[in-house]
Amino acid sequence: MDITQYFTDYTLRTITLGTAVLGAICGMLGSFAVLRKQSLLGDAISHAALPGIAVAFLITGAKDSNVLLLGALVSGLIGVFWIRGITTKTHLKTDTALGLILSLFFGFGMLLLTYIQKQPNANQAGLDKYLFGQAATLVESDVLLMVIVTGISLLVMLLFWKEFKLLLFDKNYAMTLGFNTKFIDGLISFFIVLAIVIGLQTVGVVLMSAMLLAPAAAARQWTNSLSTMVILAAIFGAFSGVFGTAISASQNNLSTGPVIVLVAAIFVIVSFLFSPERGIIFKQIRLIKNRRDLQLKKTLYFMYDIVRDHDDISRPHAIRILNSFQGFTKKTLSKLEEKNWITIQGQNWSMTEDGFETAANLYNNNLPES
Amino acid sequence: MSPMIDIQLIAAVTAAACAIPGVFLVLRKMALISDAISHSILPGIVIGFFITHDLASPWLIIFAAFSGIITVVLVELIQKTGLVKEDTAIGLVFPALFSIGVILIAQNANDVHLDVDAVLLGDLVYAPFDRLIIDNADFGPKGLWTISVILVITLVLLFAFYKELKISTFDVGLSSALGFSPVILHYGLMSVASVTTVAAFDAVGAILVVAMMITPAAAAYLLTTDLRKMLILSVLFGVGSAIGGYWFARWLDASISGSITTVLGLLFLLIYLFAPSKGLIAVLFRQSRQRIEVSLLTFLLHLNNHDSENERRVAHLQEHINWRKVKANSVLQLAEKNNMITIDNQIVSLTDKGLEFTEKALDYIITNKDEKIEDMKDDFFLFRG
Repeated sequence: MDITQYFTDYTLRTITLGTAVLGAICGMLGSFAVLRKQSLLGDAISHAALPGIAVAFLITGAKDSNVLLLGALVSGLIGVFWIRGITTKTHLKTDTALGLILSLFFGFGMLLLTYIQKQPNANQAGLDKYLFGQAATLVESDVLLMVIVTGISLLVMLLFWKEFKLLLFDKNYAMTLGFNTKFIDGLISFFIVLAIVIGLQTVGVVLMSAMLLAPAAAARQWTNSLSTMVILAAIFGAFSGVFGTAISASQNNLSTGPVIVLVAAIFVIVSFLFSPERGIIFKQIRLIKNRRDLQLKKTLYFMYDIVRDHDDISRPHAIRILNSFQGFTKKTLSKLEEKNWITIQGQNWSMTEDGFETAANLYNNNLPES
Repeated sequence: MSPMIDIQLIAAVTAAACAIPGVFLVLRKMALISDAISHSILPGIVIGFFITHDLASPWLIIFAAFSGIITVVLVELIQKTGLVKEDTAIGLVFPALFSIGVILIAQNANDVHLDVDAVLLGDLVYAPFDRLIIDNADFGPKGLWTISVILVITLVLLFAFYKELKISTFDVGLSSALGFSPVILHYGLMSVASVTTVAAFDAVGAILVVAMMITPAAAAYLLTTDLRKMLILSVLFGVGSAIGGYWFARWLDASISGSITTVLGLLFLLIYLFAPSKGLIAVLFRQSRQRIEVSLLTFLLHLNNHDSENERRVAHLQEHINWRKVKANSVLQLAEKNNMITIDNQIVSLTDKGLEFTEKALDYIITNKDEKIEDMKDDFFLFRG
């Protein structure tokens, strides 16, 4: 498939647009989930949405995706409230509550789905697309719904930005300022559920949590500011959607959902490794640098110990006598010379005034850093 | 044996085998690890299948269990970098591994008789027909043998390391001070959970495994805080729901694993609502009682602070503490019933008993020592009984 076809093919364009918008809204709202330490809430909710879809189908008998998603929204919200009830009213912990709701709701949903399949009704096929998602079934109206939901949640987020931020980082302070924390809390949870429900059709119940988490976790590595993180997460999410769709379209037998998730996972891995502040590689480099610096100063101090007893500090000493001290190499010596702490003549070294001063104050923390 | 009994046996043994590691997962706050493992064994199974080309091969279980352990290791590695929290680490690892599994299946759909649906949902109905036959003698369904062997191993490990598990679950510091390596116990438990998940998913599917591990343990935890009782209760709950779920499924003619989960869910809901001291109703009742007790205390302290008759008139009190009429009346009645106050001509005054109580309460508030309030509870809160 060549590039021009990518932009002209109607179906593909719709799907790409849909996954991009979905990635953006998930990244945006996922940032809040990650920062609130509710990463796995998304997983629980997406599973908990399944019985809602089945019940909505049983009641209406229609396969209109909007009605089914409404059912998913309701049962997702019931799941959230039950999780909250379990964690606040009993001594069971959050992880147990999430696992309970996740598996129990999903099992009940499966029971309903198999029950529906036995019904004499030709309309029931296709419900299982919500399990693993089928981006290929996206049509223009679905994408329109996604755009509208994204617009609304963006609006609400901007409107309540200050409150969300405050609640995120200092709940008690928000409470003392008189904000209705329960309401704001519920609002955030509601929009997270909404994002999940919107995504069910595209990536499915099982992989939805990764859509929510991965862009946000990747964005977190690059910044410490909430607004930057939200924007970055939205961008990462959108790109995961676009790239994932493109890759899965380029080959046969590649389902879109898993590919999008893997693309998002690559974003995460790259961020973990290469982010300048928190990334593993740069952290390691900084560690090694610090270790070298320490080694260098240790050598200098050892020299200082030798020099200290002499009247003339710049009296040359043989490099040989450093042999009893293991922490030096030719390189450290030349580095010390570079810093103008010692001078080297042939096989001898001698300490400079500057080096003596530095070494004498090495363990004196009261001096300002040089 | 008829397939009907076979299915119930497999379901019951699986439930028992899942409930035991489940108790420790719930107590160690690692319940979601079982969810992660149950998803991420998929690539292990697929790769194992590519190598052996036999879905019933024991190698498959080993491969799958191995990928379960890899999940745990990966989660811990990511967590150790400190870049994200533990739950985020779990949420990142298992969907990625699961995606790899799904893609591997889709890529080789033509020569693999492996269905993602079957992995997630299991097929208990067909389990009795895959029989273990040695020398033409029928030894019953294979699935039953696998899961029974795992149950026996789990039980042996449980009895052998009960003390160690118990200490390291409740007090990691103490257990490492006593010389039990928390790391070995941790990975031992994870291996058992992983192997059990793999064996069970074949029969009942990945999601039901999570339900079978967590739900009985959580329900039992609401009823008791004794580890031994909790283990026994959760096994009972698991087995009971498995058999109940089977009959429910027959009646509805729907998925067995789905209906076992539903029965488990109903069971949990019942216990969540009605557990004697930790259930929702008991907690709400206790909270409302505590609210009244605090109100009563506030009221008595208020009385103690005001001597003039003018301040102690009933109408004035309502206005002063800013309570609504109903609440003020109920608190007044309560205090009077306990002989804390006397109401004389619409003027409230403390009795000797009320005075003593108030003083004790003040003492507690000032010193903030728990022993002061202990005997107060016994002495005065008679209306509890």
